[in-house]
This record gives sequence, C-alpha cells and structure tokens, in this order.
Amino acid sequence: MTPKLEIRGATKTFGSLVAVDNVSMTVEHGELRAVIGPNGAGKTTFFNLITGFFPPTSGEILLDGNNINRIPAAGRVKLGMGRTFQITEIFPELTVRENARIAVETGLGYSLKFWLTAADHKRIASACDEVLEMARLTEKADRLVGELSHGDQRAAEIAMALALKPSLLLLDEPTAGMGDEETDQVTGLIRRLHRDSKYTIVLIEHDMRVVFHLADHISVLAEGKLLAEGTPAEIAANETVQNAYLGKAE
Amino acid sequence: MNGLTVNKYATTAIIWILLLTAPFWLPLLGGYTALAGRVLVFALAAMSFNMLLGFTGVMSFGHAAYFGLGAYGCGLFLKFVAASTPLAILAGTLLGGVAGTLFGLLLVRRRGVYFAMVTIAFGQVCFYIAYKWDDFTGGYDGLRGFVRAPLDFGLFKIDITNNANAFYFFIVTIFGLAAAAQAFILRSPFGRTMLAIRENERRARFLGLPIERHIWLSFSISCFFTALAGSLYALLNNFADPLGLNYIMSGNIVMITVMGGMRSFWGPLVGAVLFVMLQDYVSSMTTNWMFFVGLTFVCVVLFFPRGLMGMLQKGART
Amino acid sequence: MLQVVMFNLTNGLIVGAFYVLMALGLSMIINLSNVVNFAHGNFLALGGYFAFTLTPYIGFWGALLVSPILTAVFGYVIEQLMIKHVYARNHIYSLLLTFGLGFIVQDICRYIWGPSPLPLGIPDILSTPLTPDLFFITWYRVFMVVVVIVAVSGLFAFLRFTRVGMRIRAGTLDLDTVSALGVNVAALRSYNFAVGSYLAGLAGVLAAGQIGLNPNMGDDLIMPSFIAIIVGGVGSLTGTLLGGLLIGVAAALTTVVMPSASEAVIYVIMAIVLLLRPRGLLGEEGMLS
Repeated sequence: MTPKLEIRGATKTFGSLVAVDNVSMTVEHGELRAVIGPNGAGKTTFFNLITGFFPPTSGEILLDGNNINRIPAAGRVKLGMGRTFQITEIFPELTVRENARIAVETGLGYSLKFWLTAADHKRIASACDEVLEMARLTEKADRLVGELSHGDQRAAEIAMALALKPSLLLLDEPTAGMGDEETDQVTGLIRRLHRDSKYTIVLIEHDMRVVFHLADHISVLAEGKLLAEGTPAEIAANETVQNAYLGKAE
Repeated sequence: MNGLTVNKYATTAIIWILLLTAPFWLPLLGGYTALAGRVLVFALAAMSFNMLLGFTGVMSFGHAAYFGLGAYGCGLFLKFVAASTPLAILAGTLLGGVAGTLFGLLLVRRRGVYFAMVTIAFGQVCFYIAYKWDDFTGGYDGLRGFVRAPLDFGLFKIDITNNANAFYFFIVTIFGLAAAAQAFILRSPFGRTMLAIRENERRARFLGLPIERHIWLSFSISCFFTALAGSLYALLNNFADPLGLNYIMSGNIVMITVMGGMRSFWGPLVGAVLFVMLQDYVSSMTTNWMFFVGLTFVCVVLFFPRGLMGMLQKGART
Repeated sequence: MLQVVMFNLTNGLIVGAFYVLMALGLSMIINLSNVVNFAHGNFLALGGYFAFTLTPYIGFWGALLVSPILTAVFGYVIEQLMIKHVYARNHIYSLLLTFGLGFIVQDICRYIWGPSPLPLGIPDILSTPLTPDLFFITWYRVFMVVVVIVAVSGLFAFLRFTRVGMRIRAGTLDLDTVSALGVNVAALRSYNFAVGSYLAGLAGVLAAGQIGLNPNMGDDLIMPSFIAIIVGGVGSLTGTLLGGLLIGVAAALTTVVMPSASEAVIYVIMAIVLLLRPRGLLGEEGMLS
C-alpha cells in the first residue's frame, strides 16, 4: 500500500544556509509521527515544506504517491492536509460553534451560498456537533473563542481542521506555550484522534514528554539533517540522540 | 433564548417603531420629515459600507463614488429616459453597483493602507468625470431638472412627488427591504466567510477559502447597496451633487459608521442620526462645525472604537 | 508647437517636483509606520500659514527655514498625542484617526487665518521671469525646483548617512529585526513622523508662494501625492520620486493635446499601473500583504 505521506531527500536552502538537508521520511496510514529536534534544527522549515509554505530546493514530497512539490499551501488543504499553526489561528470574536460552522460550510463547498435548505442546515449542524464533540467543546459551543483558555483555543483550532475531513493532520507544536494541565488536555485530544478516530497525524514538538507518550514513530532532526528515526523506545535508547539533543534540551 | 438575543429583538423592534412613526413625533422635536429621509439615506449608505468595514474587515475610502454614481444614474434616467421612479432607482443602483464590481477587480489583491488609497483614488476619478462632463452631468452645478415621479401601481397612484410623508414611507420601505436583504446575506454561509476574513484572513485562507473572490463579491454587494442609497438621495433632493462623489463624502460615510459602531448591524443607523444632528445643529451654531465633528470623531476612534452601539452593548452586558 | 511642448514639459517637471516633495513625506510615514496620514495635506496648509504669519517678522527666507520646523514640531506633538496610540491596532484605526485630524487642522487654519484666500509675499527677485524669451518661467519656479532638489538630496543623505536615518531605512525593511536589535522603535517612528511633517511644511511654503493660501488647499494636493505613491510603489521612496515626476509631466503634456483631461490623466496612469504592474513601478512584493 502507498504510504500516506512520503518525503524523499528533501533539501531547502536559503542562500548559503542549508536549513533542511536531504531528509527522508515515510508516514503510513494511521500512523502518528512526531518530528523533534532542538531549536534551529530545521523542524519548522521541514514542516513548512510539508504544508507547502515554500517548495523544496530539491527532493520530493508525495501525498498518497503523488508529487505535491509545486502545490501551494492552500491547495494542499484541499487535498486533505488539515493543519494547525504554532500560534493558534482562530476567529477570536466568533463563538466556538461559529468557528466550527465556517469550517464545516467551507468543507462542504457551501461558502458561496446565500441560501440553505433544511437538509443543508441539518447536515451542517450534525457535522458541527460531531467535531465539537470530538474536541470536547460541546459545552463551550456558545462562548467566544477568544475568551477561552489556550488549551480550549487549540482544541477549537483542531476542531476546525477536523471539520474539513482531512486525511492527514499536521500539527505545528500543538502544546507550545501551555501549562501542564492544558498540555494534558491537548495531548489527550491528539491521542483520541489517533487511537479512536484513526487519523494519520504528523506533529512537530519540542516538549519531549508529549512526544514519547503519543508517537508511533519519531524522527529526530539536528542541524537540518535526519539524526535518527524509530519508535519512542528506540529513540530513547539511541546514544547519538541523547548526546545531540536530550542532553542539551533538559 | 438568552438575554442577548432578547436584547437584539428588542433593539430591532424599537428601531422600527421609531422609524415608522417618525413623521408624527419628529415635528414635535422641531425636525421635519425630509430630515428623517436624509438620516435613512445616509444610514443605508453607511450600513452598506459597513458590510465591508465592519463585517469583512476591509477599509474602502471611496464609497462616495458608488453613492454618487447611484444618484447620477437615477437622476439621468429621470431626466433623459423615462419618468419612472422605480426604474430610475434600478438604473442608479446598477450604474453604481456595476462600476464598483469592475473597480473591485483591480482592488482585491491590494490590502491594508494600499487598498484604502486605491479606493479613494478611484472615487476621485468618478468625481472628476461628473465635475468635468458639463453637458451631461451639469458639472460643478450638479444635475438638476428632474423630479421624482409618482408611483403608478396601475389601479392606484401614490403621490411621492409632493406628499412628504408618502415619500418618507417610500424611503422607509426601501430601507427596510435593503436592511432585510443585508441581514439575510450576513446570516448566510457567504456572510460567515466575510466574518472569517475579518477575524483572521490567514486562517480563512487555510480553510481553503478563495479570499480574493470573497472580498470582491463582498465589495460588489456593498457597492450595489450603496448605489441604491445614492439613488434615493437623488430622489430626496431632486438633485445630484458632484460633491456627493467627493472623498469628503466617503469620509462622511466612514464617520457615520464608526461613530455609530462598526461591529453592530444597526450601528450605522445610530451614527447617521448622530451625524445629521451634529451637522444640522452644530453648523447652525458655529461655522467651525468641522472642528467639532473632527474632534468627536477622533475621540470615538481613540477611546470608543466600537462606537455608540458598542458602548450600549457593553453597558447591557455588564 | 515646440515652444508649447517645452513650456509644458518644464511646467510638468516643476509640478512633478512639487508632488515628489509632498509625497515623499507621506511615503516615509507609510513605509515605517504603516500609517497613511490623511491630514498630510492639512499639514502642508499649516506650513504655508506659518510662513504667512512669520514673513512680516523674519522675511520670506527666514520663514522658509522656520515654518517647516514648526510643522515638524506640530507633527511630532500630534504623533505623541494621538497617532502612536493606534500603532498596535489594526491599520484601519490610523486611517480613521488622521482623517478626523484633517478636519480639525483644516478648521483650525480657518479659525485663525480666516476662510478667504491669502497671498504669501515672495521676494521681488523671485517673481521676475528668467529672460524675456522664457517669460513663462519665473525665478520662483526655478527656485522651487532647487529647493526640492536640495530637500530630496538632503533626505536621501539623511537616510543613508545618519544613524537615525539608517535605522529608519532598516525599520522600513524589517521592523522586527530592528526592534530585536534594541532600537527604540516608538521613538524612531516619532522622528520619522516629524521628518515627514517637515517635508509637508516645506511643500506648503513653496505652494503658498505660487498659488497662495486657503484652508482647504490640502484637499486638492493630497490626491496627486497618493497617486505618486501608488504609481511608484508602496515601500519605495525612489518609486515615489519617479511616480511624482511621471504624473507631473504626464499631466502637463496632456494639457497640450487635451486640456480638459489633464487632471484625469494621472488617474488613468494609476489604473494602467495597477493593471499591468499591481505593486507599482518599484514597489516591493511584500508590502502588498
């Protein structure tokens, strides 16, 4: 079976700076892959290559076996790549339900409609209920997103991504800047999405605890290169990784 | 139904009661019916403009152009084509709306201050055309020589030409229909994408929304409604004024909207009441009315960016 | 015919030079602070009126030196009082604020100096023609061009060689980095606003000597400045320079062929530029979003 996402020898240079250097990675259907590395390891650049913020200087990015190197970010969303941002991107002065609803309507192709039938309304309402339930935001549906906690805002952002029915979820440091409780909330959500709903997920993270409890496989980047790849247990035991990253990070 | 929803319905009900009874209570306060008509016309223009500013988050500083084109379209139709008020309104609305739609094509990729500057410059183009094309538009003196025609429904006629109250109710009717249409658009899926663009353009783009197309459509819709207001303005005065196309007029529309409250559907109506009052009363007391209007406006922007309606809503919530 | 074309060409360059002076001040403020100062035209009028009041005491030359400085001080105070409070907000608020400010400044001028047009006295030597053959070019026009050249060279030298100037230039390109390097961005924006206002004031004195003064003179002059910036490209001062000269010359040459279209032609140029090269002649791609 074709892997969900495959990166072959991706390289990205900015002038003389090599930000990502010949990195390959294969993500199977239903897998949760974490990409980790110290600051400046090239994680963000690597993530930007996957999401289509810019094309790779060389190498290939394949989604379901098709080369998507030249497809811009917004186009990749339409191919089923749902994403969240390092700084939560939401519609702060709208309610949680409205946030979800806009995403649902866009996903259903209703965004240029002025009139909805009763059947449309029903379809939208049930899709909204479903994603809000998944993100455990049902009780907060009528509150303004901007007034929620960071954890709930992140959950709302993930709910919006889910509303588009993505086949691959890309999460950019989903617990960045959160306290312990909120981190647990968000990792719990990601775990449910992975285990219960069978989403294929790629996330980049530098909070080690998050990654080791969640991921099936971990790719470690350092100085733009792929340092190691394997299960959490393998990575934890890997001496190169310990020297290059774990020692420094904590 | 929570408190806020009740408040919303109550506000709408109060507004309609006041509007429908204006000819009866306004004279008691020393006003006259035409003043109420002027408020409604400005309110409609500002509400149309607010679909862009308040609900799409895009700043146009050239809406006078579409307002003015509406007025000229309506006046020229009455003067040269046929003495039919409804058709003249249609002509004005189409002229302004189509012009806005075409300009919009050049605009939608611009953002921020750039967008505002280009809209203002396009506005001035229309102003110069009306100003220079003497034979057709009356140039500096404006377009005269037309009057609104009575409404002919076949079985009966309504004399909106001489009966001020009948004409006021005519304006109220059109205002009501337009406001309903705007509310309908804002509650549609398309309307929600406007809010999405206002709230977070990046997020909206990453939902897969074609932002440029949505801004263009929103701009176009806004221009059609603004031109409708302009048509009514020509009928109100039996006159189309080149200054109605000038950027000072665009500024008036902006000030009305912001003073009333740009995040509120009825905010611009409240702003129009305030503005017409300020203009009418302050200008009768002092020649330096611009100073006071400007100062009021600056204070609103600095201290009450959500305008009068924003203050009222905040008061109601706490 | 040749003489007519020559006359209009010179005229266009002079008018263009004037647009440049005015638009550069506006452009600087847009570039660093993302604020379109709608009151810029009213700042210009204010500069002219300052000169009107000062001339009887310190003469035209003194007023030429002092009025722009007073305008700069005025701009600085306004920036401190109002404009700096909205930098953090959406750009819409700064547009609204300066629009209201324009009303206030215009009415202050009307209140102090009256609604009727006033002349600004210029030295006799400047009001004579160059030569009897070139009767259409007075020394004043030559003088205007010289002042613009000196001011523009001074501005570019300021931006290139002084510390504040270099920081302003760097801030235009990448404000975050400049701020991360420990530069006080708030102060930088204030100085920049003052420099922009200085240019408006200087343009005001020059304009007053040529066309006289009236409270709403700014309204007629601000639009060509906008167009100079749009045509030249937002984000580039050299672009503004080119844009100003281009529309000045184009408007003047159109007068030869079709006098009634001379004002419209600058808008046509703008529309063409927007169609064919949306970011303007020298605009930066990044400035659009």
